[in-house]
Amino acid sequence: MIRRRAFVLSAAASASCAFDRRPRLNIYNWSSYIAADTIPNFERESGVRVRYGVYESNEEMLAKVMTGNSGWDIAFPTHNRIQPMAKNRLLASLDHALLPNLANLENRFQNPVWDPQLRYCIPYMWSATGIVYNRAIQPAPVGWSDLWSPRWNGRVTMLDDPEDVIGACLKKLRLPFDSIDPRELEAAKQAAIEQKRQIRAYLNAEARDQLVSGDVLAAQLWSTTSQQAMDASKALAFVYPFEGYPLYADNAVILRESTRQKLAHQFLNYLLRPEVAAAIVRTSETATCNGRAKVRQTPTLYPPPDILARGEWPAVLPASAQRLSDRIWTEIKSS
Amino acid sequence: MNLRSWFLVPARLTIGLFFAAPLAIVCGYSLLTRGDYGGAERPWTLENYTRLADPLYAQILLRSIAMAAAATLLCLVLGFPLALFISRAGKRKNLYLQLVVLPFWTSFLVRTYAWLFLLRDTGLVNTLLARAGLIHHPLALLYNNGAVLLGLVYGYLPFMVLPLYAALEKIDPALLEAAADLGARPLTAVRRVIIPLSRPGIVAGSILVFIPCLGAYLTPDLMGGGKTVMIGNLVQNQFTTSRDWPFGSAASLILLAFTSLLLYVFLRRAEVR
Repeated sequence: MIRRRAFVLSAAASASCAFDRRPRLNIYNWSSYIAADTIPNFERESGVRVRYGVYESNEEMLAKVMTGNSGWDIAFPTHNRIQPMAKNRLLASLDHALLPNLANLENRFQNPVWDPQLRYCIPYMWSATGIVYNRAIQPAPVGWSDLWSPRWNGRVTMLDDPEDVIGACLKKLRLPFDSIDPRELEAAKQAAIEQKRQIRAYLNAEARDQLVSGDVLAAQLWSTTSQQAMDASKALAFVYPFEGYPLYADNAVILRESTRQKLAHQFLNYLLRPEVAAAIVRTSETATCNGRAKVRQTPTLYPPPDILARGEWPAVLPASAQRLSDRIWTEIKSS
Repeated sequence: MNLRSWFLVPARLTIGLFFAAPLAIVCGYSLLTRGDYGGAERPWTLENYTRLADPLYAQILLRSIAMAAAATLLCLVLGFPLALFISRAGKRKNLYLQLVVLPFWTSFLVRTYAWLFLLRDTGLVNTLLARAGLIHHPLALLYNNGAVLLGLVYGYLPFMVLPLYAALEKIDPALLEAAADLGARPLTAVRRVIIPLSRPGIVAGSILVFIPCLGAYLTPDLMGGGKTVMIGNLVQNQFTTSRDWPFGSAASLILLAFTSLLLYVFLRRAEVR
């Protein structure tokens, strides 16, 4: 079976090569993270043919890329996966001479904590987790602890994600978002179980519609999704919790397995052009790391420096802590 | 090889490639150790199985069994009269059967989302009840165990109706006439003639509903709002957020072993009778 599949694939590949002799670049990105004309424009001006694939989670991408012969040249891991991937020798070092457009990156993304010299990655998009809420309910929330308040009458949702929920509980208790101390995690678990009785559900992107329709009055949600909800309903507002909150960035990387390093650099440099970055953001409704892109600036998508200072870039948990966190999450969910 | 074995080759290949081989891979994974960043690595270990002895997981398994059993029973109670009705509908039989399978023309995911729209606070049900003046506050119809049960019953009812129909259809109407002639009232005839004769349909339908309900993860997730964990969600989480494929494999194999055992006992008992 495997042999037959390989045969069909190679037959198809050689057939298409016969017609198309352009070099090929394989790009693996998150779904809905690009504009419709980004790839066609690049193909036209570079004479390269692009194979573009999408994934829905870092795990899905890592599962393929970890093998070291995934066939992809470029991927977009989240910031806390960069060092682990570099340690596993999956990432190619970037040649900055081929990336003059790096200067377009916003200042704080020129030397991010997860890769200060940008040796392996180029920050692409970023977001944060905060609270989106209905202004009709007073007082407006200012921090995570407000999501434990009875004033929402049970119409609160939290993200269906252990890292974010346990992290918010830790922050409510004034502990670090990515703590691995068992006692601190135990305290966070108690807080989550207490909260579970009075919240409606654990929802991710589905929370958006329910906020707009008024079913849900407050939610722990990503800044980008919150902005989409706020665009649809004037009653909604967003706050970055005063206790601190997590920031996330997805980064473009070139895989070490790639045999087309030059081409890959050419594409990354193209992505860094202000007008290309702006077109992508208009489609994806996210926040770009490109400082020169002319895009809509809202305080939700691009908070001011004093608010940004409260944000944390969570690290990925080590295996033992991951296991503890998983058990705690299961316990919260089945409580 | 004789001709007959040649004809069996496609079936054997299908079973081997799409059932035995993946199962062997899952078995292999369940004995490995979780890698630091997901995936699975050596050394070989039984630790994934010993971890499952945790009462937390036993409780989740028990809850899943209770939920699946309740869904099966409800499907039986709702499906039996429906199947009986269809089996005696004469010329309209085919139309009704088509209606039973009609939902399969749309994706299960889409149909579950449709329920969310019906049941939420600003959904159709609550809006109509409020307009009729029957309620003043929206009822909490979503994100609880009742909603999960509703979703399961809705999703798997056709799997109960179809085998029941097949069994009921085969019952000779003359037997019911004989029962009536001998003085049995309609309900007695159902209890003493129809139900015993439709036993194979009841067994098949119950198995077809119980087993997928036991492993369900989509319905508890969407209708339960992530507030309940069934064993299917536990397995799913290991392969996604927790990145613990070995533990997820072990959990799914335990579920498989449990289901097989249950099936075996159930079928044995059904045969004996």
